[in-house]
Amino acid sequence: MRATYVWLSRLIALGVVLQAAFIAFGTFDVFRTVDDGKAFTGEYDDYNAGQALHSIFGTFIIPLLALILLIISFFARIPGGVRFAAIVFGLVVVQFLLALLSFATPWVGLLHGINAFALAAVAGFAGRQATRAPTTAPSTPGASGASDAEATAAS
Amino acid sequence: MTEARRWWTRRRIGLAVAIAATVAIVGTLGYFWYASLVPATYSVMDMGFVDAGGGPGGGAHNHGGTSVSDLKGPEGTPAVAVTLTARSQSFALASGEKVRGFTLNNSSPGPTIQLTEGDLLEVTLVNESVDEGITLHWHGVDVPNAEDGVPGVTQDAVPKRGRYVYRFRAEHPGTYWYHSHQVSHDQVKGGLFGALVILPKTAPQPAATAATDLVAPVHTYEGRRTIAGRTGVQRVDASPGSQVRVRFVDTDSGTIRVSVTGAPYRLVAIDARDVHGPTDVTDRAVRIAAGGRSDLAITTPPDGSAVRLDVGAGAALVIGRAGAAAPPARDLDATLDPLAYGSPAPIGFATDSPDRRFEMRLGRRAAFLDGRPGLWWTINGKLFPDVPMYVVREGDIVLMTISNSSGQVHPMHLHGHHAVVLSRNGTAASGSPWWTDSLDVDDGDTYVIAFRAENPGIWMDHCHNLPHAADGMVTHLAYEGVTTPYVVGGRSDNEPE
Repeated sequence: MRATYVWLSRLIALGVVLQAAFIAFGTFDVFRTVDDGKAFTGEYDDYNAGQALHSIFGTFIIPLLALILLIISFFARIPGGVRFAAIVFGLVVVQFLLALLSFATPWVGLLHGINAFALAAVAGFAGRQATRAPTTAPSTPGASGASDAEATAAS
Repeated sequence: MTEARRWWTRRRIGLAVAIAATVAIVGTLGYFWYASLVPATYSVMDMGFVDAGGGPGGGAHNHGGTSVSDLKGPEGTPAVAVTLTARSQSFALASGEKVRGFTLNNSSPGPTIQLTEGDLLEVTLVNESVDEGITLHWHGVDVPNAEDGVPGVTQDAVPKRGRYVYRFRAEHPGTYWYHSHQVSHDQVKGGLFGALVILPKTAPQPAATAATDLVAPVHTYEGRRTIAGRTGVQRVDASPGSQVRVRFVDTDSGTIRVSVTGAPYRLVAIDARDVHGPTDVTDRAVRIAAGGRSDLAITTPPDGSAVRLDVGAGAALVIGRAGAAAPPARDLDATLDPLAYGSPAPIGFATDSPDRRFEMRLGRRAAFLDGRPGLWWTINGKLFPDVPMYVVREGDIVLMTISNSSGQVHPMHLHGHHAVVLSRNGTAASGSPWWTDSLDVDDGDTYVIAFRAENPGIWMDHCHNLPHAADGMVTHLAYEGVTTPYVVGGRSDNEPE
C-alpha cells in the first residue's frame, strides 16, 4: 500500500512534468506550422499532437492517478497521507477549473501553469513524506513499528 | 478492554471508514460514468427532454403521425439535374497541393450548383468509395424535411455503392452550400462539400465578364487555407469601375474574417438573405460564422488599381485590371456588426406575443460524455443526450434565447429555417433585419432570435464547429405530429453529428 502510494505520487509529479513538456512541444509546433503557411481552424487539436496529449493527460490520466492515490491513502495508514492525497486531488480539480476559464480568458492560463507546479510539488512531497514517516498505528501491541505489510498480514 | 483489543477496534473502524469512502467515490463516479453511456442505436424522438416552450405538446415524446420520409420535395421534371459521385481518395487541390480526403466528381470543393429562383433541382448522390457512408445536407436551404440529408433523422446514410436522390425547388435567391452530414467533422474537413447559388429570376444574369459574380467557398485542407480550392493569392481580372459580388462561404469549423483593402465594400447578404440598405464600409472586417455565408459587393476603383480580399492564412482574392499591383494585406481588428448595419425593414411577423419561448444555454464542465471523461459542452446545464427537444406547431412564432458561458464561440445552425436576430445582450437590432441560419454566439453573449415555424419536420439545431457537434452540441426542433422512422446508429451506422 505504502509503496503504491509512493509510486503513484511520483507518477503524478512526473505527469505534470510531461504536461509542461507537451505544452512546450505544442506551442513550438504551432509556430512551425504557421511558418509553413498553414492555418488552424476550429479543429486545432487535430493538427497539434502536443495539445492532444496535454488534453488526454490532463482530463484523463492525471485525474485518474490522483483519484487512485486518494483511495489508496485511505488504506495505507501513512501519517498525513490522506491529507496530502486530498490536497493533490483538490489541486487537480482547481487545475481543471483554471483550464476551463482560460479558454475565454487566456491570462488565467498563467495561473494554470503556476498551479501545475504546486500540484507537482505537493505530489512529490506526499511521496517523500510517505517514505519517511512511520505507520499511523498508535501503539502497536508487541512489535511497535511493525511494517505495514506485517500488520496487514496479521489481520 | 485491553490495549490490543482497543487497537484492533480502532483499526477495524479505520478500515470500515476507508472502505466506505472508497465505495462513495468509486460508486459516485461509476454512477456518472454509467449514466453518461449512450446506446449504440437510438431514435432522436426518444432523446433528451421535451420542451414545449410554453405552448401545447409538452411532456411526453411524440410518436406516430407524419413520417419525415413523407415530407419530400416536389415531383416533376427538374430544371437542373446533377449527379454527384463521392470518393475517398488522395487528390490535388486546384493550386496543386496533394491532400487526403474526399471528393465529389473528383474535385473538392465539389461542383458549384447554380440555379435560378423557381428551378426544381434533382441531385443524384452516388457513394463510390466512402466506407462510413455519406449524405448531403443543403446548408441554409429551407428544403422539405426528407431532403435535409441528416442520417438517422431524415434518411439513412448512403452506403458504399449506394445512391440517393434529393429534390427541392430553389425558392430564395442567395448563397448556400452543401455538405455531408454523416461523420461530418471528418467528411466536411476532408472536402465533401460544394457551393450552391440561387440567382434571382428578375435580376440580370451575371454578365459575360467573368468577374461580376464570384463564388468563394473558404476551406482549410490539412492546414492550407483555400478560396474555391486554391491556396495563396488569386488574381481575378476586372476592368476599372466593375461591380463585383463575392459570395464567401465559411466551410471550416472556425470563424473566418474577410478584410478588404483598396476600395470600400458593402455587405449585401448574410446567409442568403439580402441586407436592407447596406452602406459602404472601409475600416472593418467581416466575420463569417462556421457554415455561414456573406456576400460582399465591391466596385473596382476607376484608377485601375486592384482590390484585395483576405480571408487569413495567406489566402486572398485580388480583383482588378490584369497586372494591377495588389495592395498589401491588412488585418483589421474591428469587425462589422450586423446588429446595427443597414436600415430597418419589416420582418413580416409580430414577435411581441410569441407562441413559444425557448432557451438554449451553452456551457461547459468536467463530466463523462458517453463514458469518456473530459471538459464537455453542455446545453441548459446538461450533456448530450440529455438535451432539449424543442417542440413547435406549424404556424407558431418562436422566440429563442441563446446564451453562451462556455468559454468559446459556437456557430449555432438551425436546419430548415431562417431566424431573425432581435437583440444581443439586451441591445435591440437597429439595422437591416439580420436573418441568419448560422449564428456565431460568442462567449458571454446572449442573443434573442425569432422565427416562424412553417417547415414541418424534425430539424437538427446544432453547433457548426463540427467537432463540437460530434461531442454532443446537438438538439432538435420537432414539429408536433411528425416522427422519424430512422435511428442514429442502426444498420446504416448513421452518425449525424
